[in-house]
Amino acid sequence: MSELDTIVAPATPVGRSALAVVRIDGPLSGQILATLSGSLPEERKAAFTRIRQGGEPIDECVAIFYKAPRSFTGNDLVELMLHGSPVIIERVIVAARQLGARIAEPGEFTERAVLNGKLDLVQAESIADLVDARTSLQAKLSLLNVEGRLSRTCASIRESLLHVISRLEAALDFSEEGYEFITRADARMRLEAALAEIRAVADTYERGRATRAGITAVILGQPNAGKSTLLNTLVGSERAIVTPIPGTTRDIVRETIEIGGLPMTFLDTAGLREHADLVEEIGIRRARDASRSADIVLYLIDATRGADAYDEAEIAALAGRHVVVVQTKRDLAASSGLAISAATGEGMRELIAHLDAIVRERFAVPEASPSIVNERQRAAVAECESGLSAALDSIAGNADEQFIVVDLYRAANALGTLTGAVSRDDVLREIFSKFCIGK
Amino acid sequence: MTTDAARCFTWNMSSQFDIIVIGGGHAGAEAARVCARGGARVAMITMMRDAIGRMSCNPAIGGLAKGNLVKEIDALGGLMGEAADRAGIQFKVLNRSKGPAVQGPRAQCDKEIYSRAVQDILAAESNITFVESAVQALLFGSSALTGLRLTDGTELRARATIVTTGTFLRALMHSGEVKTAGGRFGEPSAETLSDSLRAAGLELGRLKTGTPPRIERTSVDFSLLTEARGDAEPRAFSILTDRIALPQVLCHVTYTGAFAHELIRANLHRAPMYSGQIRATGPRYCPSIEDKVVRFADKDRHQIFVEPEGLDHPWLYMNGISTSLPADVQDALVHSLPGFAHARIGRYGYAVEYDFVNPQQLDATLQVRGVAGLFLAGQINGTSGYEEAAAQGLMAGINALQYVRGGDPVVLRRDEAYAGVMIDDLVTLGTEEPYRMFTSRAEHRLLLGCDSVYERLTPIAESLGIVDDERRRRAESRVTRMHRAKTLALETSLTPDRATQEWMGAAGFELTAKTSVAKLVQRAEFHVEHFLAVAAPAFPALTSALTALSAEELEGVTSALRYSGYIERQQREASRSAGDEQTRLSAEMSYALPGLSREVVEKLSSVRPSSLGQASRIPGMTPAAIAILRMHLRRKSAETPAEHAPV
Ligand SMILES: Cc1cc2nc3c(=O)[nH]c(=O)nc-3n(C[C@H](O)[C@H](O)[C@H](O)COP(=O)(O)OP(=O)(O)OC[C@H]3O[C@@H](n4cnc5c(N)ncnc54)[C@H](O)[C@@H]3O)c2cc1C
Ligand SMILES: Nc1nc2c(ncn2[C@@H]2O[C@H](COP(=O)(O)OP(=O)(O)OP(=O)(O)O)[C@@H](O)[C@H]2O)c(=O)[nH]1
Ligand SMILES: [Mg+2]
Repeated sequence: MSELDTIVAPATPVGRSALAVVRIDGPLSGQILATLSGSLPEERKAAFTRIRQGGEPIDECVAIFYKAPRSFTGNDLVELMLHGSPVIIERVIVAARQLGARIAEPGEFTERAVLNGKLDLVQAESIADLVDARTSLQAKLSLLNVEGRLSRTCASIRESLLHVISRLEAALDFSEEGYEFITRADARMRLEAALAEIRAVADTYERGRATRAGITAVILGQPNAGKSTLLNTLVGSERAIVTPIPGTTRDIVRETIEIGGLPMTFLDTAGLREHADLVEEIGIRRARDASRSADIVLYLIDATRGADAYDEAEIAALAGRHVVVVQTKRDLAASSGLAISAATGEGMRELIAHLDAIVRERFAVPEASPSIVNERQRAAVAECESGLSAALDSIAGNADEQFIVVDLYRAANALGTLTGAVSRDDVLREIFSKFCIGK
Repeated sequence: MTTDAARCFTWNMSSQFDIIVIGGGHAGAEAARVCARGGARVAMITMMRDAIGRMSCNPAIGGLAKGNLVKEIDALGGLMGEAADRAGIQFKVLNRSKGPAVQGPRAQCDKEIYSRAVQDILAAESNITFVESAVQALLFGSSALTGLRLTDGTELRARATIVTTGTFLRALMHSGEVKTAGGRFGEPSAETLSDSLRAAGLELGRLKTGTPPRIERTSVDFSLLTEARGDAEPRAFSILTDRIALPQVLCHVTYTGAFAHELIRANLHRAPMYSGQIRATGPRYCPSIEDKVVRFADKDRHQIFVEPEGLDHPWLYMNGISTSLPADVQDALVHSLPGFAHARIGRYGYAVEYDFVNPQQLDATLQVRGVAGLFLAGQINGTSGYEEAAAQGLMAGINALQYVRGGDPVVLRRDEAYAGVMIDDLVTLGTEEPYRMFTSRAEHRLLLGCDSVYERLTPIAESLGIVDDERRRRAESRVTRMHRAKTLALETSLTPDRATQEWMGAAGFELTAKTSVAKLVQRAEFHVEHFLAVAAPAFPALTSALTALSAEELEGVTSALRYSGYIERQQREASRSAGDEQTRLSAEMSYALPGLSREVVEKLSSVRPSSLGQASRIPGMTPAAIAILRMHLRRKSAETPAEHAPV
């Protein structure tokens, strides 16, 4: 039996919420809770208690004690729901360490859950996402994976692969039995269907990535268009310096707010113009660079001046990006299309609604579909896709079974890192259960 | 492999023998032969000397995957290929149309001639002493095996012992309600040896296998059967064979029908497997006819190959209706088959139940873990089939030899030989039913074709000093010939000039750019024979290289060129996993490591894998557990570099 030590760490991001959860996992966890709160509550029952260190109260909290193996990690586990102050969390952790726990490595709780067979790898990664999920849609997406939707989709593709592989293998190992185990047309049909399924999963990656990493929106426009004012209005604080002097903003200023259920990061940039000083020049280059990798570009036009040839050239240069043109200062002049006024707040609701719609339509994952959210999963899905296409090419080239299966095993093994692998014994079991083989 | 073949034996004078082989079946024969070749003094103990090399069941050697094992045995200096060539009466390469990687050479053999050939080959080895007796018990020292006792009380001492007792351990034959002790028809069972194995700490299980009825040849109406022919040009197994000497014969095919199936269903309660008389597990891939009828009720007929047991042998072997039903049911069943209305059964089919040792208790050299000097090979390890037994016998023999002369263990890799795949499967996964080789068990199948065995394996055998000069010479020249042809095909290019276009156009395709012959071979419409017929004068070097090849060698070369893309991909995959395969885990390693679950620790401790690669193949092993193991090894090797040196 491996010796297990006791670890402690906050389970929620520090400094964000009213409530903070601290977890203690391992053989000492029950004892630590008993010492901190004066008694050990009944297993799996939420208990309201006072946490003290050396007689000095730290906080009032709700504590739950889970006994192994009926816990998230499979070990003895304590969860403390404290008030969300960094100072309180810090003191609880110090107290737990004095009683024998050590600070957990990142991901260590989840790793313990995986090692104890409580979670598979896909589920584990989703948990990690859930823990730092910052917005509501992200949380929901993580839950979908926790329930194993991605695992289930992969399992269904795995079934098709096992079906085709085992029959092609049977054609090689039992060619004397006088069976046609599978027709080429049938094999092709099943593999094409599997390929379509895996491609649909692959497509969710771009969306999944946006869900995880969030979306960037760059605010562009000529000096004094009102870019910094818009950023400040969106975040509700004086984040960027605003003056009537054209060329105020030099370096990029970023702020993130939630739009459409996803975190959207706005980048306020230096105003674009022809003749600028050296510092401003650098700022403008940075603005252009940022706009090239942005998901969305908000291009602001001062309504009091209207769009000129320069604006049109800039907008044309952004072809291929998702550009939203917004007129500003509508309180000062007649405007058309999407138009806002930072001074009166007019048009802001419409602008946000517009962005919200874009996010839901183009970046958010449809709620019912499986999705891949990290690089490891993406690589596995891409490898599976490539194996399936190569096998279909081999079929089209009328290759023998032993060559087709090379790529099918490659596809199956790739999936195996997301769900169960296809073992040689699975293949034989499938053959013997479906066909009367042997002399 | 760095073994010095000439290394002297450190003779231990208290031993009468260096190595004792218990059993003269297919495993025992290979083991004894290779040990003698390596210079050891060998004793072979069998219950019936006449039965050495006997084919217990079907009269054939080879087949899909099994044929590859026979070729590997030949390349390593074993005897099975030679014996089969001497006894073969119908040769056929199975999967002929599919390329060498999955082709399986097979030969119907004359049973009597086969066992005589094995006996002749063994008799030619002056180092082997034959003892006709039964072994009653093994004798143990403190941590090693020291010898054994025969039933007459005689004790024999040896430094290594290879147990190859096949289906004989506490063997019970079933024919309907009748049960007889015996390992094979007409031969006794070995009742006490299992106790010795248990005393060595081994856990034993029980398996079963069966054999069909034999029919008197003169009682069959062949006009009602379909003929089954072999290849027009018989292809030998052994590189030593120049010519197949025996006349070639026909086999036949017939089918069961509705009457037979009804009959079996009505008598199922009398079949030992169904009445509960046999509890042991039989092979899924070799079901009895009663199993077939029950499990595949919707199939309205089952194919039977009718195979002669020899040139003049009075019996036919009914391949496809293995059974242990009572005699009266077997009679009625046989009479219902087309052509067999008046057939007489020469010997009834029966099933045999026997003890086996779960091979997870062995290390990769087939030595029992914890009992130095005790090796097990063949059906005792839970396998079935002559070829599987022979390949294990050979590898156990090689490793017993190495053990006795203090050489390195010899473990074939999974990308090196089917024998390597089989032994790794056995010691890593264990087996719950009789294990048979299939090509699909080998993940690097494309690297394991019959065409490349001499290149892959003969050098290994050579370094061990177990190959005869003639075999070595032939293998070397074959490999050189094939290599030369391959190289020239890669180096010789055709240019699309008028003359070339002309003859290529006539062959039905055109050339647009300068292309190597190797590339052209990848095009389905390109035939080497045709190329040689029209283009020979222009390419004298390539032509002479190609025409120097035998038909078999030419097939090997063209397929290596044609499928080079796939082959290279498998090579890359194999080398990617090479790191894990070479990361050794010591036999004493403690797996009680932080982060590993108890389940994983138990699995690792019971299999005791010899490498990280083997560990990753243990069922139920998680990628995370392997990652943790790898981390631990890295940490450990950083602390004590000497301890981690490759074994
Ligand atoms: C009824 C029957 C049905 C079979 N059916 C099939 C089948 O359908 N398909 C298939 O692939 N294979 C089948 N086989 C198995 C095949 O015969 C074996 O796989 C193969 O022969 C095993 O070789 P071996 O060397 O391990 O042992 P064997 O060939 O069984 O040889 C065992 C040897 O050990 C000797 N021996 C045993 N105990 C002692 C002792 N105590 N002292 C001294 N000598 C001893 C015996 O005399 C014999 O020489 C069948 C075998 C039998 C008997
Ligand atoms: N009345 C009115 N004034 C606005 C509005 N938006 C911005 N302004 C004013 O316009 C001036 C320039 O605003 P900024 O937000 O600094 O403009 P900018 O685009 O960031 O300018 P640079 O940083 O110089 O490129 C400031 O004096 C703002 O107060 C608006 O909606 N209504
Ligand atoms: Mg600004």
